[in-house]
Formats: sequence, structure tokens, C-alpha cells
Amino acid sequence: MQLTISNVSKTYANGLKALSDVNLTIAPGMFGLLGPNGAGKSTLMRTIATLQDPDSGTIMLGDINVVKQKEELRKVLGYLPQDFGFYPKVNAEDMLHHFAVLKGINNKQERKDICDALLHQTNLYEARKRNLSEYSGGMRQRFGIAQALLGNPKLIIVDEPTAGLDPAERNRFHNILSDLGENIIVILSTHIVEDIKNLCPRMVIMNRGQVLLDGKPSDTIDQMRNMVWKLMIDKTELNVYKDKYKVISAKVIEGKVLIHVKSNALPEAAFSVVEPDLEDVYFSNIL
Amino acid sequence: MFLEIFLFELKYALKKPSTYVFFSIYFAFYLFISLAISGVIPLGSSDSNTYMNSAVGNAGLYSFFNQNILALVHNMIIIAIMATAIQRDFEFNSHALFFTKPITKFSYFFGRFFGVLTIALFVFSGQLVGLLLGSVIGHNQPTVGPIHLYNYIQPFLYFVVPNTLLFGVTYFSLTTFLRNTTIAYLVTVIFFLFDLASGSVLSDIEYEKLAAMLDPYGNKAFQHVTQYWTPSEQNERMLSLTDVLLYNRLVWLGLAMGIMWFSYVRFNFSQFLKPVKVFSFRKKEESYSPQTPAVQHLSELPKVTISSTGKAFWNQLLFIARFEYKRIVKGYFFIIMIVLGAVLAYITSSFNSLIFGTEVYPVTYNVAAQTGSMFQLMLSILIIFYSGNLVFNEKQFKVDELVGASPIKSSTLVIGKYLGLLGSVALGLFGALITGILIQSINGYYKFELGQYFASLYGRTFVSLSLLTALCFAIQFIVSNKYVGFVISFIIAFLSRIIFSQLQIDNPLYNFNSSGPMLQYSDMNGYGHTTPIFYFFKLYWLAAMVLVFVFAIRFYLRGKEKGLKARFKFSKFDSHKQFRLATIISAVVFIGVGSTIYYNIKVANKMFSNKEFEKLQAKFEQTYKHFQKTSQPRIVSSYVEVDLFPDKLGAKFKGFYYLKNKHKKAIDTLIINYNNETEVKSMQLSVANKEIINDKDFFVNVYKLATPLQPGDSIKLDYTIDYLKKGWFSNSGKSDIVYNGTFINNFLLPSIGYNEGFELGENEARRKFKLNPKPRAASINDTASYANTYISKDADWIRFECIVSTVPDQIAVAPGYLMKEYTKNNRRYFHYKMDSPILNFYSFLSARYEVKKDKYKDINIEIYYNKGHEYNLDRMINSIKKSLTYYEKAFSPYQHRQVRILEFPRYATFAQSFPNTIPFSESIGFIAHVDEKDPLSIDYPFYITAHEVGHQWWAHQVIGADVQGSTLMSESMAEYSSMMVMEKEYGKEAMHKFLKNALNKYLIGRATESKKELPIMLAENQQYIHYNKGCLIMYALKDYIGEDSVNSALSRYIKQVGFQSAPYTTAKEFVANMKLSTPDSMQYVIKDLFEDITIYENYVKELKSVKLPDGKYKVTLTVGAAKFKADSLGKSKAVAVNDWMDIGVFISNDVNGKKVNKELLLKKVKMDKPVKTFEFIVDKEPTSAGLDPYNKLIDRSPENNRCKFGSMPTPPDLDASSSNVSITL
Repeated sequence: MQLTISNVSKTYANGLKALSDVNLTIAPGMFGLLGPNGAGKSTLMRTIATLQDPDSGTIMLGDINVVKQKEELRKVLGYLPQDFGFYPKVNAEDMLHHFAVLKGINNKQERKDICDALLHQTNLYEARKRNLSEYSGGMRQRFGIAQALLGNPKLIIVDEPTAGLDPAERNRFHNILSDLGENIIVILSTHIVEDIKNLCPRMVIMNRGQVLLDGKPSDTIDQMRNMVWKLMIDKTELNVYKDKYKVISAKVIEGKVLIHVKSNALPEAAFSVVEPDLEDVYFSNIL
Repeated sequence: MFLEIFLFELKYALKKPSTYVFFSIYFAFYLFISLAISGVIPLGSSDSNTYMNSAVGNAGLYSFFNQNILALVHNMIIIAIMATAIQRDFEFNSHALFFTKPITKFSYFFGRFFGVLTIALFVFSGQLVGLLLGSVIGHNQPTVGPIHLYNYIQPFLYFVVPNTLLFGVTYFSLTTFLRNTTIAYLVTVIFFLFDLASGSVLSDIEYEKLAAMLDPYGNKAFQHVTQYWTPSEQNERMLSLTDVLLYNRLVWLGLAMGIMWFSYVRFNFSQFLKPVKVFSFRKKEESYSPQTPAVQHLSELPKVTISSTGKAFWNQLLFIARFEYKRIVKGYFFIIMIVLGAVLAYITSSFNSLIFGTEVYPVTYNVAAQTGSMFQLMLSILIIFYSGNLVFNEKQFKVDELVGASPIKSSTLVIGKYLGLLGSVALGLFGALITGILIQSINGYYKFELGQYFASLYGRTFVSLSLLTALCFAIQFIVSNKYVGFVISFIIAFLSRIIFSQLQIDNPLYNFNSSGPMLQYSDMNGYGHTTPIFYFFKLYWLAAMVLVFVFAIRFYLRGKEKGLKARFKFSKFDSHKQFRLATIISAVVFIGVGSTIYYNIKVANKMFSNKEFEKLQAKFEQTYKHFQKTSQPRIVSSYVEVDLFPDKLGAKFKGFYYLKNKHKKAIDTLIINYNNETEVKSMQLSVANKEIINDKDFFVNVYKLATPLQPGDSIKLDYTIDYLKKGWFSNSGKSDIVYNGTFINNFLLPSIGYNEGFELGENEARRKFKLNPKPRAASINDTASYANTYISKDADWIRFECIVSTVPDQIAVAPGYLMKEYTKNNRRYFHYKMDSPILNFYSFLSARYEVKKDKYKDINIEIYYNKGHEYNLDRMINSIKKSLTYYEKAFSPYQHRQVRILEFPRYATFAQSFPNTIPFSESIGFIAHVDEKDPLSIDYPFYITAHEVGHQWWAHQVIGADVQGSTLMSESMAEYSSMMVMEKEYGKEAMHKFLKNALNKYLIGRATESKKELPIMLAENQQYIHYNKGCLIMYALKDYIGEDSVNSALSRYIKQVGFQSAPYTTAKEFVANMKLSTPDSMQYVIKDLFEDITIYENYVKELKSVKLPDGKYKVTLTVGAAKFKADSLGKSKAVAVNDWMDIGVFISNDVNGKKVNKELLLKKVKMDKPVKTFEFIVDKEPTSAGLDPYNKLIDRSPENNRCKFGSMPTPPDLDASSSNVSITL
């Protein structure tokens, strides 16, 4: 089963063009969607998650037409939105059972089994009687993934799941994500390059509603080999270099600025070649 | 800095459209109100003596938003404008920007507060502008007085400004500290309940002042201060801040200042970052140590089956319902609403049913209805609140994307929520049941009728509330803002009925949640025949709600689409297949039931709006007025066979009249009216005639006699008339013939001559149809009108005989003696016959009666009552005996050989005296709980019985002519008679409360007179005059000339005019007769009491008591008296006082825990100077003293007649007409 997105466009009432003619085919496995804030990632995620209708275009998951057969899609969907909360004064276990019912898991025993399993899986079992409002950020995120995994989904969408988590929690979260099977489609949308690097065999880079790059992270890095050059410069010189070259990143290090420049050949003698990483790919694409 | 913040706040608010929307709401409301009252917008017309735009009038209009349900709306608007001035900074996270700036607390706090206060006052000035514009537009209407700007501004300053400050500062502080508006809303509800509770406390005059102080809006204080203002005072006086009004304003304004000061002091930037928690939750510390997850591959997770149809649908539905139900009933909002409902029900239960300070037994129907209505109110608020919250819950708590992406159908989800809310409503009603039972138990009443509780709370209230819930949900689906949804739901739930009735849209098909013609529950008749009709109407609304719900659900906010159209499109593929079926069925039911209702109320039974009816009345008068002077023969005998069909709600009449020409001229035209709800089957005259008019629109038949009827000759008129239910039901909810407890009278039978009673009464309305103004009664000097009694225009004294039949398990009763009782064709027949002439005024009753019998001398006493209502039968019998004894001795012999009291259902609350037959409402005496131990409680079953028995003399022996003043000889004398019997039974002290009540009602009555007040001798069927003033003046007269003199005059008068024929007696004759028994020195009293409107202002100026060496006390009492004569609008003129009055000194004793005053001294003194000082020696230490302490004289401020020793007397207002009172702030 694969997810096919064909010619999907969406323009908001305020004139913002969030998606313009997006075409993607996503096979089972972890799929990364990388892009800066406002790139249209969330709009695309929500559209796939049946929370919005596209203005035009179709989205198919196998035989399921996402726009017209929302309920069918929702049955096989696990979704963890970017920004979510919970009802106050409801504990994790009750809330998870509630979501399980919404999912359609009506058999009491089955429901109990899956909820317990998921609470174990996300390491929340001992905290299951606590109100969600008392959960820390990482626990909430883990609970979020637990609810997304209810009902054996075939498509899982996680939208910016690690934003705001400390490194330890992020690791823990990556662990959970990496356990997700290879037989289902997992779309991970993020603006954090590291997430993709750690988890995704395939990714696209999006900006301004368009898909800019589509491929394996390692392939894209390979394509950049011998094309990225670095140089330490003074802050004051930055604009000069920006005018002259395609500066893909500029990092301040000990008062000086380290710039990466994309170029097919050595730009100046002072530059030295660097081994490109995903970040270079990302920045060079979204500029 | 202050100014900057203040101005910033103003600018911010002036940019918001809501500011102008709110302003327009007030403006439009008041413009409409003033146009409607002034008559520019023609609704029903009624006469009034007062201007709508006087200071008092405007204050009354402003108070619309200070009471009842509008106060809730008003407070919500205050919250919207004022509460969030500071809290807003947190919502938008901009507080850090402000708090880090170098601004002072003072300028931040007060700048914000006064900013929003100014905006609020701007918004509320819409009221003033609307009223002003309305009166300018209607300036040439009679109800609009001269336009003085200060009349609008003064009440605005007294009420609107301080109230805005009080409520504004309260909500502002609460919201600022708790950073949440929910508590503010809750406080609004508490204020509202406070208002309701103080309203029911107010209903007993003993607590009036307390209630006036307790009302934070100042309404009740305003009412208390102005309640006795006559129409002329209302029109001309400005408000003055005196007495309770002043204290009320000071106390509440002081409270506002206090809250403001407290909040200001407590407000501090750093503390403020943490909200104050009302319900503090224990915050558990993070004690959780992360373990390494027991890593499982996803495929190892247990497999589940996903389903959403069939059984699974119900499973999901119930789970969601339970989930939401639990969240609601665990919430403090729910708990508080239930507790408030219970408290309110308890408070009102002890006041609402007081009649003369006496309680009724807490019978289940009363308690269930009262408790139920309080809970219904609370639960309606809960429903409005939670329907919004449940619909927007996901969005509010950001669960919307999680829920939106799950495969649950929107419809399953919201129907689940709906059921959850209904569950909590059901639980709330169970709270009502428990509260009701508690109230009954606390009062020592243990006859709990659980079936009735269930029928009332679940069978009716719950059904109505579940429809309301559906509508509120639908509204919330469609609007995308829950606050807008609240307002709309609120308007429909609480205001639509008021608005519709104002607009005279009385068709129940348009009136949301209408229940059809309802009958109150009655112990006699249960819900009667209305139960199936009720459910039929609910079926109509159920179908309507299903349609609305199914449609509205398409707009349910799921996912992230915005805008109605997008949401509608978005939900295209998400709905149950069964919905189509439900829609079709509902549409069919809606149309079917709706048209059946329409047929019944519009086609089978005509339904007139007020306007249509006025038109009809005017047309009738224009068409038939020329017949008014046509001489008619008079009924001298009536025989009728009545078949009552209580089970079919109908009756059939077959009978005849003998009509006799009592005039000196021959009569050739006969005019016969029949009742508009009856159907004439036959109408047959015993002589040759021609029908010249048969008008089915106005129910008039006119016959031309072939040979004119000569003076002294009679003819016989035979008639057959059906009075049957048309269709299934009508909109009016008639209650005269019911399953158990039928009570009809002879107004259903034909009457003779032009029917003046059908003419338009209100002059305001007559003007519209170009009809001359109509006096309420003919002048006392109009001798032509002496030809009729005021009860009947087509008969004098008649012979009467009837046979009444009914269903076999009921007893039918009519005036007369039972000649025979028999059963035929499974119907029970009762043959009654009168052996002496009676007025043309008789009734027919039928019910499943129990009968209690007794005897006084040769007179049979019978009480026909409903089983279970035995409480006061002995009191009634005792009263009948005592009354007969007194009246036979004082007035004249009783003309009948029996007295019968018959209970009828509580649809009407009166007792009425027919010849030897007294129908008596279930609710006004049969369930009274007379507390023998409470000296202040009045035994009103005794009193009402005595009054009605009194009518056997005063109305059924002496009946006045059809002119002004004639009710003096019936109602006032029946009052006098019963007071005398009462005084003999319960003593003089018992009369005090009674007289005080009468005085209060009289003073309020004259303040609200819509035409003109008249002296009692000329009263035009004005209740506050013939009952209340009647009591007072007869008691005063008895006091001045003695009981024996009064009674000898009365017995002489009866001898003179009892059972007389035309011309009938008048009040002039009555008063002249009374003068004969009055000594010369007291003749002025007769004039003061009967011929003028005399008002006193008696008061205590100074008082002190000193203990003498012999243990006695010397009392020095300085008292003043002023006397006024008032005109018909209450404009009064001072006259010299030279009157005998009571002066008294009292000691207060505890009698069964109640303070009761005992006389130490009471004597008559002559007040021949405005102020006089008296000295007395009394035996014991006195507690109070005063001039005219029993309020025997009519005093415009009764409470300053007595004063306690050691307290400061309040200075009286001695102005004759207080039109020039200076304005004091």
C-alpha cells in the first residue's frame, strides 16, 4: 500500500497559498518531511489526516480516497498533531480508552489489552492514573504517540513531535518512532534536520508550499559532495561573501563566522572543502 | 501614565465592533419599548394615568435590565466589557510587556478599570438615548409627558451608574485574580438567585424593608419608596434619595468601593503572575523515574477489531455519553447549580405560598412544581452553558485534531455528548426530587407522592429540557463562537416567549417548546385531559428538533476548515445513512402533527390576537349599539336541564325562560345573545315571530314579534344549546369542564338585550376605532340605570329549577334544594329547585366529591370536597356557623335552608357566592396550613368562608343598581361582615395585620390606578377600593360610632331594600342611611370615609418614658397629624385636621417565639392641632407608642405611626403635592 498525493493545492481564505501542486508518492517506511516554519508541512499533514479538504488534487491511500472516504482513512490512521492538549481532570488511562472508543475499538477486553500495551510501550503505565495536565512535555508527547498507535494504523502522521523536548526525551521519542514497523507508512514532519537524519530512509524538503527535493538523505548528501566549502570570516565581511557566493549557512563561532558556500569549484583559495551533511542539503534547498 | 493607559483602553474598546453592537442592543431595546408603551407601535392598548417618561417611569424602564432574566444578560455584557481588562493581557501573553515597563500599579490598575467603566457607561447610555428618542417620536401620545432631560438622567445616575460600578468592579476583580471568567459568570447567577429570593421574601410585607436593602440593583428599594406614589406624584416628582433607597445605594456603592480598594491593594505585579486558585489542586511532584521502555515491535501489539456500525455504534454512543456525563457531574459548575437550585427552592418554598402570612400545606403538587421550576431554571442555564462547552470542548482543549482524525462519526460523537448532558440533567432533576422531599419533611409533611414527582419532573420538565438541549446544540453547531451561541440560546430559552407575547405572536407553532393548552396539576383533576396534548406538542417539537439537529450537524466544527460553507462541504461524506430516514420520518411527523395542531387551534377553534379581538369588539358596538335602548322583557323564571359530560369536556343545555314585559309599553323586538362558544340547536318563542337577524359572527339573534308583548304579559323562550369541545383542543386551555371538577355558570345560557359587556373597555383602544370614551360604570345619578342590578341586565329576582346530570361516579350540584336523585341510562341525575326568588346568577358543578355534613339550627351545612383535602373542613363549618349566628342577629334572617361549599380545581383562585352555593377554589382554603400557635397568621379559610356567607346577605338580599358605588353594598359589606366574625373569633390584635395588609393593598392599588381613583361611594368596580379601602373605612366607622350603631343601620337598610325590585338601591341611599345612625359630632367622618378620598399623614415626632418612683412609667408622646383630600389622580390638598384618633402605648411580649404587641393604653384623642404632646402613666415599661397605631385611618406612610422608645422617629413628608421637591443627591 502506498500513499499517493497528486496535484494537491490549497489556498487559505486570507490568500496564503499553503500548498501548490504537491505531488508525492510515499511507500511504507519512515518518511521525512523537512521544511522551515510556514513551509506548508502542517497543511499537508492535516490534509492527509482528513482535517482539511484540498482545493484541488487527490490523495489516495491504497484504494482509499482520502477526501471522499474520510472515515475509511481515519480507521487506518494514527495522527499526532503539532499542537494538542487534553481535557482537564481526566487521567491518561481514561483518556486513552476514550480515544480507543473514538477509534472504534469497541470490544472491552481488546480495548483494555491495547491500551495497557501502549501505555507500557510508551513507558507511561505507572503514570496512567495521573491527570494529563500534570504530565511533562515528553510524557505528553509519548502519550500522543500512544493514542496514534491505537487500532493498528497503516498510516501514521507525526507533526513536529520533538519540538521543545530536551535531548533525553527526544532520544526516547526517537526510540519509540524507530520501533514503528516497516510495513506501515510513517510520515514525520519536522524542521529539525537531526530527526530526519536519525530516522528517515527517505525524505522531502518543502518550502512555500512546494516540494523542493525528494530522495534518500544519503543520496542527497552524496550529490552535494565536493560542492560545499567553508571559511572563517569576520562578521563584517559576511555581506560581501553573501553577494559573491551562495552562502548556505553562517554560524557564529567564538566571535567569528563560519560560512558554508555551495559551489561546483573552489570559490577562493582560502576556502576548504567540507564533508556535506543533511543540514547543508536542507539549507541549500530552502534558500 | 494613568491617562495614557486609560486612553489606550478607550481606543482599544472603541475599535472593537462589539462595543457598538452592545450599544445598539440597548438602544434598540429601549427604543422599541418606549415606542410600544407610548403606542406608536400599536400593540394591545390599555389605559394609563401615568407618563412613561417621568423620572419614576424611566427608573422603572431602566430596571428592566436589573431584574429577572434580563439581569443575567445585562451582567454577561458587563462581564464581556469589563471583566477581562487585565486578564486579557495574560490571554494574549502580553503581560510581560506591560509589567516590565516602568508603570505604576496605580495607573495600570485604575487606568484599565476606569477605561472599561467608561466604555460600559457609554454602552449603557444606549438605554437613555433609546428612551429619549422613543419619547421624542411619541411626544404627542397621551402616555408621553413633557420631556425633561433630567427625568432620564436622574434615574441613570441613581441606578445604572452605581450598579455598573458595583458589578463591574466585582467581575473585574474576580477575573483579574482568578484569571478566568467562569467564576464571574457563576457570581452573576448567584446575584440572579439573590434577586429571585429577595423577590419572594418581599411578597410578605413584614419583610419589605429587608428585601429592599438586600437587592443589589436597588430596584426593590426604589419600589418600596415609590410604591404608594399616586399617579400625579409619579408624573411630577423627581426621585429623592431618602429612606431605604438612600441606604441601599450607600451600602452597595460602599461595597463596590470596598471591593475596588481591596483589589487594588492586593493586586501586585509579581503575585499576579500566578492565578489565585479557588479550588486548589494538590500538585504532585514528579516522582516518576523513566525506565527503558519494554521495546516491542509494533506488530507485537495486540490486534484489535475496529467497527462503528450496528452494535458498535450504540457502544460508542453510550461510552461517549458516560464519558461526558462524568465530566459534567464532577465539575463544580454542575454541583453549584444543583446546590443553588436546592437552596433557592427551599427559600422560596417558605414564602411563595403565603396568603395573609399563612402557609399552605406542602402538598406534593405545590412542592414539585415550585422545586421543579427552580431546578428547571438552573438546569436551563446549565444546558446553555454545557451545550456550548461540549461542542467547543475539543477546540478549547486542543483535542480537536486528535478527535477529528479518529474514525468516529461526528454525529455519533455529538449525540453522545448530547446524551451525556441529558444524563446530567436527569441527575439534576433527581436532585430536585430529593430537595422536594426534604422540604416536605422539614415542614412535617410526609405524604410524598413519588408518582407525581416523576410525572412532573421527568414526564414534563425533562422532556422540555431535552428539546431545549437539542436546540442549544444545534445553535452551537452553526455559530462558530460559543459565546454568540450562548446569547442566541439564551434568547430562545428565556426571552423568546416574552418577545413573542409582546409582539402578540401567540401561535404555539412558532413558539419554541410550546406545550399546548396546559392545565396546572390539581389534586382533583390531575393533569386532566391535557397530558396527551402535551406530548402531541412535544412530538411536534421533537420532529422539529430532529430536523434542525440533522441539518445543523453538518456545520459541526470538525477539523480545521473555517466558514459555514467550507464546513458544510467538509462534512459531505460524514453522516449516518439512517439520518436520511430520520429526516424523512421527522419531516412527515412535523408536517402531520403541525397541521393537526393548526387545524385544532385555528380552524376548529378560532384564535384571535388582542388586536383582532379589539377590532371585533369595536365592530360589534358599531353594529348593534342602537339596540341598547330597546326595551326588553325580563327573565322571571329559568328552568334548565343540563347534561354534563366531564369525560368529553362538554355539556348540553335544554331549558326555557319565562320573559315578562315589566315596562309600561308594548315590546315588539326581542334581542337574544348567546355565548360565542356555544352552538344554538334551537331557539323557540311561544308566540308568532319573525327572525330578522341571525348573526353568527356576533352571536346575536333578533326576533320581531307578530303581536307586540303587552305590559305585564309573558312569553316563553325554549332553547337547546350545545357546549361541546370543537376539534381535539383549542389554544386557550379552557378549564371549565374537566374530567373531575367541572364549574360552569349561566353565562353559557342565552341572555336578553344588547350585550354591553362585549364593548371595548379601554379608552385608549376605543380612540383608535373612533368610539366615544366609555365610563367604567354609569353615574350614580343616572336614574335610568337603576332599572338593573349590577349583576344582571336582563332579570330581577327569578324562580329557578334545574336537573343536572353527570357521569355515575360524580355528584352534580346547582343552587337549590335537592328534590330527587336518580340514575337513568348509566347517568346520574340531580333535580334541584329553589323555593325563594334568586338573582339570575347560578352555577353547575360536578366532581367526585366527598361530603361532610353539619347543621346549624334548621340550616343544613354541606361541604363537598376532594378526598384528602380534609384539613380545614372544621374551620369552614365553624365559620359558617359563626357567620350565620352573627349575620342573623346583626342584619336579617338567612333566606335559605342550606349553605354549601364546593371545592373546584385550582385553575382559578377565588371563592364565589351563588345562592346558598359557594364554589371555593382548591388552592385558597382547602390546603391552608393555619398555625394556631402563630399569633400573626390569619385563618383565611375561616375568613374567606365568612366573606362568602356574608354575600348571601350582601348581594343576594341587597343588590345595588348598575351604577357607580354599588359594590360598596356587596363586596365592602361582605368584608365588613367577615371582619366582625373574625374579630369575635380571634380578637382585636388579629385584626392589626389584616388591616395593615388592606392598607398596603389600597395604597398600591391607587398608585397603579389606570383611570381615576374615586371615593368608595362612587367606586367603579375597583377592587382596591371596594375590598381594601372598604375594610379600612368600615372598621374605622365601627370604631367611631360603635358596632351596634353600624349594625342597626345595616339591618334597617336591609329591611328597606332587601329583595326589592327596580329601581334598585345605590350607595347614596346606603350612606344616607348610615348617617341616620351617626351622631352629629361624627357626621364629618361619614363624609371623609365614603364621600371623599381622605388621606392622613400621622406620625410620632418625639417619645420618651421615665420610670417613676412607684415603679410606673411616665410616657411623653409628641405626635403630629396632617390630613389631605385627594383628587382622582392622587393630587392632594391639605385640609385642617380636627379629628378623633387612637393614641396607644404598647409592650412587646413573646408569644410562641413571635413578638406581639400588647396594649398598655389605648384611647381616643382629638387632634385639633397639627402637633400635640400627651403625657400618660402606664404600669409597665413600654416598648412602643404611636398615633393611630392600628392604622384604622388611611395613612400614606403607615409605618411611622408607631415608634419604639429609644429610636429616632423618621421625619414625615408633609407636602400636599410633592411636585416641587428639590433635587437632593
